[in-house]
Amino acid sequence: MTEGVFPVDIGPQYEGEVIRKTDMRIEFGGPNVRSKFELVAIKEPAEIVHEKVEVVGPDIAEFPEESSQPIALLVEIGGSRLEKDIEPVLERRLHLYLNYIEGVYHMNQRQDIWIRLRKDSFNKGLNSLKILGDMLIFLYSSEIDIIEKIQVTFITDGSKVEELLPRAMQVYGARDEKARGLREADVEEFYSCALCQSFAPTHICCITPERIANCGAINWFDGKAAYQLDPEGPIQAVKKGEILDAVRGEYTGANQLALEKSMGAYNKVYLHSAFAYPHTSCGCFQAICFYIPEVDAFGIVHRDFEGDTVIGAPFTTLAGDTSGGRQVEGFLGIALEYLRSPSFLKADGGWYRIVWMPQIIKELFRDACPMDLYDKIATENDVHNVEELVEFLDRVEHPWVKGEIKLPV
Amino acid sequence: MSVTIAVAGKGGVGKTAISAILVDFLSGKGTVLAVDADPSTNLNEALGIDLVSTVGKTREKMTDEIKGGRLTMAASKQEILDARIHESLVETPRFDLLAMGRPEGPGCYCAANHMIRFSIDKLAKSYDYIVMDCEAGLEHISRQTTKDIDFLLAVTDPTMRGLNTAIRLQKLAGEMRTNIKVGVLLVVNRLRNGLPPEIKEAVAKSELGLFATIPEDPYISDLDIKGKPLITLPLDSPFRRAVQEILFRLKIK
Repeated sequence: MTEGVFPVDIGPQYEGEVIRKTDMRIEFGGPNVRSKFELVAIKEPAEIVHEKVEVVGPDIAEFPEESSQPIALLVEIGGSRLEKDIEPVLERRLHLYLNYIEGVYHMNQRQDIWIRLRKDSFNKGLNSLKILGDMLIFLYSSEIDIIEKIQVTFITDGSKVEELLPRAMQVYGARDEKARGLREADVEEFYSCALCQSFAPTHICCITPERIANCGAINWFDGKAAYQLDPEGPIQAVKKGEILDAVRGEYTGANQLALEKSMGAYNKVYLHSAFAYPHTSCGCFQAICFYIPEVDAFGIVHRDFEGDTVIGAPFTTLAGDTSGGRQVEGFLGIALEYLRSPSFLKADGGWYRIVWMPQIIKELFRDACPMDLYDKIATENDVHNVEELVEFLDRVEHPWVKGEIKLPV
Repeated sequence: MSVTIAVAGKGGVGKTAISAILVDFLSGKGTVLAVDADPSTNLNEALGIDLVSTVGKTREKMTDEIKGGRLTMAASKQEILDARIHESLVETPRFDLLAMGRPEGPGCYCAANHMIRFSIDKLAKSYDYIVMDCEAGLEHISRQTTKDIDFLLAVTDPTMRGLNTAIRLQKLAGEMRTNIKVGVLLVVNRLRNGLPPEIKEAVAKSELGLFATIPEDPYISDLDIKGKPLITLPLDSPFRRAVQEILFRLKIK
């Protein structure tokens, strides 16, 4: 499709090609370069000069062979149907498109980018960033038809890159803030992960924007990317379906998934409760929420915690009670990151229902803990058994024990 | 298509030395990825280069970042891992080296290992030759690195314990999901005056035919004494010639 137009070929077959250091003409960014970033911005069409490519600083041929250089790659795009929200998606396309180009590889993202150009592609004529810019414009325009105008700027002057970097960092930060704010209500699809089924055949992880997989390794965004990379793989897309219980997190799609993948063992799952129909637990969870009947509340213990929990059993014992792909009321295997979810045990009172956890987890997740609660959760340094726990909770006036917390209905 | 040679055996039988010389030869023929899959040895030292990081360290670091909520949301973990594994490659003009590092500690690594396997498979595809220095348990082959191996050299010295490990390797390889195309090939290293009769008899009883022998090489102990990398072994050393002969017999010319 590109014959005669560009000096090197373009296509998915070049994705994943490794460019060895001895074969590279130049690298931009990467571990040896401090000043680097890429940014895609949606602009008013009037602000964009269509198909303009600008190079600020020296071009490829002016740099020594095999050297590592700074770079800022700015792509500005306009179109009446394009919204600011799509910026991260279009920015991620840089990774895909640059890797489509014969003899070019792109790694990482944002302020960590790493781009290499191979000598033979340079010798074939890909010897200027201007051409690389033209190729990017070609790829963007032909793949995404709602793009009306696009311009590309490369900055190879390190001090200019440094100057612009803080602004890019602000944009990245704002986007992360937004991504963290993504809710189950905002998406149509959840993801399922069957990686643990060899250990727990009736277990299937249901991954939503508010519920990371039990092992802590796969969040909703990872699920989405993994499914795109390998649609036949262990991670699959699941239609969310209708919401049956907003408080407990019950969806027709998740119920259907449980039914199909638990070999009929379960047909109902609450994504955000440890009671009635809790999510199944594999053997891989990072932590366990365990019910303490004497105080009608939960403790949390993580895998690395040595010694006994407040109820007298160590992690391994509780793990035995929790694991195996079963729904066990009052025992829930979770990823630690789930503590940061706005829906963490939502139906059961969330953080306010927690009365004990290891000191280190308390510290690590201080950001997620309600401020008024932090000093009221006991750790192994405060209490050693349930009797002491009851005393502690009375003394600090834990809001759950005082009856101040109303469960959502 | 890349050709993958895995070298395994009991500790101390010389598999790292064989791997290093294989890398040296093959890097004259095409691009080579050397994989140090034995945490107790140092292929990098035999090759005379310093390590930057290991896949194990990368995995631990990422696990910590996930726990601390510090991992960027800009890319999926798979993509981040792809890049980090690239960053931990030691790149030399003649070959690249990837060190696997320690196996995981307690906890679940199903997802992490699945992602690592995906990244390494992708990386390895770009090389003409992959040489893996493996530990006796083949842990990394079975769990993490490439699914397909062309040749598995089971290395032993002329001792019964070494030979038994090599024989176990064949059994192990049969039990794994790994697909070994050509099979397990027995290499007896450090021979002084031919194969001792006891070893000969034990080999004959096993299903593992003798593939090649390598003589004891005084140059190697000399390098060890001086602390020089094995790759500097002289061109006319008996060890080098024997390894070259192995490559020849594998039809890698």
